[in-house]
Amino acid sequence: MAEPRNILITGGTDGIGLKLAYTYANGGNNVVVTGRRSAEDVKGLLAVNITYIKADQAAPDEAANAIIRALAKLGWHHCDLAILNAGNGKAGDPLAENSRDLINRIDVNLTAPILISHALEELLMASANSKLVLIGSTSHRGASNFASYAASKAGLNGFARSLREEWRGRVNVQIIHPGPIATNMHDKAGFDPGIIKRIFLNPDFVARTIIRKIKKGRSPTSISFAARIIDYLTLRNWFSS
Amino acid sequence: MRVLITGAVEGLGRALCDQLLGNGHFVTAIDYNNEGLAELDQIWGDKISTIAADLSDRAELLNLLEKLKTDPPFDWVILNAGISATGRFEDIPANAYQKLLRINTEAPMIMAAGLAGSNMINKGGSIAFISSLSHATGYPGASVYCASKDAISAYAKSIRPACAKIGLHILTVYPGPVRTNHAERHAPKGADASKRMAPEVLAAHIVTALKGKKCRLYPGGVAKLSRVLGKLAPNTMSRLMRKIIYEKLGTTRF
Repeated sequence: MAEPRNILITGGTDGIGLKLAYTYANGGNNVVVTGRRSAEDVKGLLAVNITYIKADQAAPDEAANAIIRALAKLGWHHCDLAILNAGNGKAGDPLAENSRDLINRIDVNLTAPILISHALEELLMASANSKLVLIGSTSHRGASNFASYAASKAGLNGFARSLREEWRGRVNVQIIHPGPIATNMHDKAGFDPGIIKRIFLNPDFVARTIIRKIKKGRSPTSISFAARIIDYLTLRNWFSS
Repeated sequence: MRVLITGAVEGLGRALCDQLLGNGHFVTAIDYNNEGLAELDQIWGDKISTIAADLSDRAELLNLLEKLKTDPPFDWVILNAGISATGRFEDIPANAYQKLLRINTEAPMIMAAGLAGSNMINKGGSIAFISSLSHATGYPGASVYCASKDAISAYAKSIRPACAKIGLHILTVYPGPVRTNHAERHAPKGADASKRMAPEVLAAHIVTALKGKKCRLYPGGVAKLSRVLGKLAPNTMSRLMRKIIYEKLGTTRF
């Protein structure tokens, strides 16, 4: 069996992040997840082999510092894989987004992952074969119902594109853009997709595809409805599970 | 016409100011540089209204919006203020990145939504966002600057339909290097300044695009060519940018 790897996943108490955490932890890796709730509140959600760090990305610099401090306490001298997945969104008329919404969206979805990448630099460089993975969104090309969300994800895309070149040969920087996923993010965002929800991507499929794409390491890369069809055609999920 | 310009004291903002004032329009000029604003006041007198505000300070930004609400509505709003940070990503302190994202991304979003959402721009008016040619090419050595400009480009595109509904037009500008102090500070060593576009020329391109209600402006031949190449071969383009910029970067600047 391969050496256990040190894996950090932000936003790992819900949705795709949680699924990724379980998959990597069950594979025998050292998995640390972050979230904004207190450790007490997430106790029942996480398996015993997953470590939790409270880091609220609404204050990006504090979140980055909290993560680095906690990883040092855990005795991490290197990080093999960091998946920066935490993010939030809110649907609605873009001109009705007030300054608090806009500030929060940019802080949580863009500034925080940038500052966390910045803080993780030494740990990532200390691993021979490390990967920094940013979770974007297919909405990064613009979305009239999710203006600030689309902006934050476009920012991540530009960041990943440039940093990938800077860190080439040292850390594989990758951005993965999933299409709409059937997690409770849309409920949280106050958006009822109606009948369209049927074609939303299944979270298990997305988590599986993200892991496959991380192995391949290509960037940028999207997970869309077309990928779902290919997944069926390759019979991947007929034989697994 | 009444025009609002942020970052009005230097560079492109100043060129836009001078051009629009010269054409007889009224300008509200925003900048953090008090002395520069005083100089504008002295030159243009009652044709200009200057307001000092540091757009990286959230409280000042919100105060500014409240202050603007007491003015008559604008016809053009040009969200031009921006800063950069160049060098290896890991060599620049985190607080410089926070400041950059506030000025380049957060402030124009808050101003656009705040002004358009409370009828402070006349029907038929325009908002101009200044993105960057890095949107087409990537920018190793300025990855957070690139992030800030990609974000504002997607934001402009996303609010376009909602703005169209209330009669507002959105222009996004993707300038390449401009002959300003900003470019001088952040360009790699030995870069040829004469190849950069003069701010007066860029300002004229922007005024024409606003009049013509264009959605996107890639000013000049280099920008147009880079846009096409960046679309056709994005990864090759970013790698080329690494060669011509990142590997030649001198001192870290932020």
